[in-house]
Amino acid sequence: MNGHQKSWPIILVITILSAPLVLAYAYLFVDTVTNSPPGSVVPHEFTLEHWSFLWQTRPGRLSIWRVTLNSLLFATTSAALVVVVSSMAGYVLSRLNVPGRSFFLAGVMMLHAFPAITLIVAIFIVLQMVGLYNSLIGVILVKAAIDMPLGIWLMKGFYDTVPWEIEMAGIQDGASRLTVWRKLVLPQVRPGIFALALFAFLLAWGEFILPQVLAPSGNAQVLSVYLASLIADDNNFDMALFKSVGLFYIAPVLVLFFVFQNYLMNIYGGGTKG
Amino acid sequence: MRILLDKFSKAFGAVSVIEDMTLEIGDGEMLALLGPSGCGKSTTLFAICGIHKVSGGRILFGDRDVTSLPPQERNVGVVFQSYALYPHMTVRENIAFPLRIAGKSAAEIARQVDDMAQLVHIEPLLDRRPAELSGGQQQRVALARALVRRPHVLLLDEPLANLDAKLRLEMRSEIRRIQLETGITAVLVTHDQVEAMSMCDRIAIMDAGRIVQIATPTEMYNDPHTAFVAGFLGNPPIAFLRGVVSGDAIVVPQSDVRLPKPNGARNLAEGTRVSVGIRPENFGPAGDVPVKGRISFVETQGRENLYDLMLADGSVLRSIQPVRSDIAVGDEVEWSVASDRIFMFDDKGERI
Amino acid sequence: MDAFRDKTERLPASGGAGAAPARRRLGLLDSSRGLGVLLLLPALLLVVLFFLMPVVLTGVFAFTNMNTATGISGGAHQVSPGALRVLGERYEMGELAERLGQPTYVVDERGLAALEEMGIASGIVASLRRSHMDESFTSRREFERVIRALPDRPDTRTVKRISDAFSRSLANARFASSGALVAAAEAIDPDLTAEEKEALAAATYTGWNWTTDNFRRLSSSRDTTRVFFNTLFFVAMTLVFFNIGYAMFLAIATHYMPERPAGIFRIIWFLPRISPVVIYVLLWKWVAWDTGFLNAVLSDFGVRPRNWMLDSATQAWFFVIMINGFVGASMGMLIFASAIKAIPETHFHAASVDGAYRWQQIRHIILPQLKWPILFVTCYQTLSLLTSIEQTLLATDGGPGGATEIWSLWIYHTALNNYAGNLQYGYGAAMALVLVVIGIVLSLIYLRLFNYNALITRPRIEL
Repeated sequence: MNGHQKSWPIILVITILSAPLVLAYAYLFVDTVTNSPPGSVVPHEFTLEHWSFLWQTRPGRLSIWRVTLNSLLFATTSAALVVVVSSMAGYVLSRLNVPGRSFFLAGVMMLHAFPAITLIVAIFIVLQMVGLYNSLIGVILVKAAIDMPLGIWLMKGFYDTVPWEIEMAGIQDGASRLTVWRKLVLPQVRPGIFALALFAFLLAWGEFILPQVLAPSGNAQVLSVYLASLIADDNNFDMALFKSVGLFYIAPVLVLFFVFQNYLMNIYGGGTKG
Repeated sequence: MRILLDKFSKAFGAVSVIEDMTLEIGDGEMLALLGPSGCGKSTTLFAICGIHKVSGGRILFGDRDVTSLPPQERNVGVVFQSYALYPHMTVRENIAFPLRIAGKSAAEIARQVDDMAQLVHIEPLLDRRPAELSGGQQQRVALARALVRRPHVLLLDEPLANLDAKLRLEMRSEIRRIQLETGITAVLVTHDQVEAMSMCDRIAIMDAGRIVQIATPTEMYNDPHTAFVAGFLGNPPIAFLRGVVSGDAIVVPQSDVRLPKPNGARNLAEGTRVSVGIRPENFGPAGDVPVKGRISFVETQGRENLYDLMLADGSVLRSIQPVRSDIAVGDEVEWSVASDRIFMFDDKGERI
Repeated sequence: MDAFRDKTERLPASGGAGAAPARRRLGLLDSSRGLGVLLLLPALLLVVLFFLMPVVLTGVFAFTNMNTATGISGGAHQVSPGALRVLGERYEMGELAERLGQPTYVVDERGLAALEEMGIASGIVASLRRSHMDESFTSRREFERVIRALPDRPDTRTVKRISDAFSRSLANARFASSGALVAAAEAIDPDLTAEEKEALAAATYTGWNWTTDNFRRLSSSRDTTRVFFNTLFFVAMTLVFFNIGYAMFLAIATHYMPERPAGIFRIIWFLPRISPVVIYVLLWKWVAWDTGFLNAVLSDFGVRPRNWMLDSATQAWFFVIMINGFVGASMGMLIFASAIKAIPETHFHAASVDGAYRWQQIRHIILPQLKWPILFVTCYQTLSLLTSIEQTLLATDGGPGGATEIWSLWIYHTALNNYAGNLQYGYGAAMALVLVVIGIVLSLIYLRLFNYNALITRPRIEL
């Protein structure tokens, strides 16, 4: 754009501003496989000792693999729930003649903006009452519910792009509305479903406050809570260990993001919490 | 199968689009619903196939009242303007879809899909996806899919609108051929009078939710009931002159044009305003009523030329004549109107 | 052509009214309404369970004194020293409290039966019944002297066992219901009035009660004012400097750049958002901690090592706002960038011809186009910053000394997690209720701003 005006001064400024961020992430990698002399940031030796958490479980802590499994279970299940519920409700709001449709639509839009985290005290108490405190099931349900309004909103948007004529043709061909939805419309929004699934997975994978409050200890611990409790333990301060666990935890996120960034950027642009 | 719309009405909320429309389509007939956009022709089509609920009246297929039947049970084939092929299925799967829904056996489906492919000439395309087809080929697939269920009636919603000029010509005759070969009752919705005239047995012209006239293309061209119909049919279009009844003639004010009063106008009072429709082919060197004017525009159409002649009062008549090189824009000429071929309308647009 | 002829004959035949294809009855799932309700059901269920019900319950819990001590289900009755003090002070039944609180031994049938059960010599039981039935003692020593004086002369161990069997003291006893409590009290003092029973039950109740104290406390507490202004400061600074300001800078800067570097910078500034929050904050800690990056670099210049994040309130705020701001900036960046992209190229060309410099382009062409996106981001981010908790919790945990305690974190520390271990659910719910109400109001405004009616189109299939 505007070829006669130079862009290098802007690039220079933004590079300087971005440098600390890039540096911080670069050191996240470097520090996990090296040691540096005290008081220095220049590594002097290569080591794998910081990764010993992978095969050595400290007394009083869950095995990293158990925690990872919990995280995977938490993220995939809640993403699956979000996708299933949203792709059903989104279709209704986009296409079907149900009583109170515009009311639901307004409700979804409002819920999307509403900060559900304010309800955590009530949810905390209710989960304790019904015995789902400290269990993965409780936290999965809560996470899925909180991400659902955004999911419905996105899915409605995807459905809106499917031509009406496809559905009309399906009905003329004798198919029921259910069949039309499953066999003709769902295949058209497959990329959207994939993007939403990915997005919901990443949201849940990174989630901290919900598991921290609703399932902080016991066998339901997920990676974020595990790492936070490592860091909070004043008796065993080991930044390189924190970073190694951190890198282990963030790696799938980075891989998924870089591979599917085109899918994701659109959704992030559509507005998320943050 | 005979289709009957009996006092059919349709309203969207408080807005009434069609009121008390009655229309009968004969068995095996192809009927065009012709009209400008917003005249209610698509609404009528959607009511026949069941996508819209009717607000009043009945719809009969043969003797069967289908008014309250959902589209799935009406057995109507529809070809949409965008074709609406299922993008994730191959051509074969597209055509087979209605049969699969109906629960036909695999062998039966395969046989009928092949029959249809043969009928619409797409045998080599069966394993492609819609995105790999040209517009005309997609159109053929859409036809095959609409026909494969042996529907009672075939509805075509602006089927040629998305095609380029050459393909449009080709598909026009193809659709007609397929309709004739299958003997199916068909309704064509279009805003293009050429399509309607060239493809259909009868035309129903619609305007503002009403059927203005329903007749065969020839009848309608030669005997339009209203100025609207006369203006809609014919290419190049008809031209209108404003006239006033004066004695036994119709005169065009501020010019020396005097047209003889036609029979229907015999008892019109002196000074009544009328409008006179003159088709381009009925105005030229041969004729009985002379009209003087200046050539304001010449359009070369190859075999013929279209001339716009501006009269003294500023109104314009059109004339279509074999190509001639002796006339240019700005020339003063005197041509004649064939007065036995003119149409006269009152100020409400009704034919006199 | 024969094939077609054949078809011509087949088609109308099978299309005849009598030979319609096998009729299917259309069920619930074929109508738009039935299918719609069915497909909406799971979403509705989640909304009711995790949005509507919690909203209502937040309101309900806010009017209770639930805390760790009271528990969340119904409580029991415990005659603790505290409860007895309450009985004396609040109900002015000090005499009753004293009576119930002191050790009491009553020779009754129940105790005698227990003795028989234990296998105590029947002579002892018989003589107790004969000479001491229904006597009561308020001191163990006195009662044991009486037992020792029995004709059978039980040994010391037996004396202890016997006295235990007759102990009827209520002190520190726990009862599941008020009925059990009253029954036990009547064993000591059969002449309790109804009024006394009621007072006793109320004073010893350990469960939660309905109360409006939470709101009184909230409106009078000095902490409220402090946390309120902290929150206001936090939201305003983060919003203005990062979520809008820096986001706009990023969007405009990447706009005036070739596509490749622009894409790279967008991805870099997306890292804070996609990174799980625990790692993201960990990186900041690594930068700021005593043995962290900043100190390692600055020590070469002779700067005293310190924890930059928690050294002073000002520094803590600086980091809290940056940490939150970097996350929020990416959303604004994307939205502003797409709004700028939507400005027709010709506007820029026209401006360049007019000799407009870049700054003027930004002022006169870009900024006016960003009015709605800015409003959108402001609305949305105000709501999410108001309730943002994770970053601040992990970074400063409200420190140093509560300097960066914001409202949502205050709730967390009051009701969900604190060092003291006494979680005040009711009080926390009252605090949360404030945010819930603000959240509902702001999201209603948000809804009005983005006139949702424009987004609704009638379904084109009317079934």
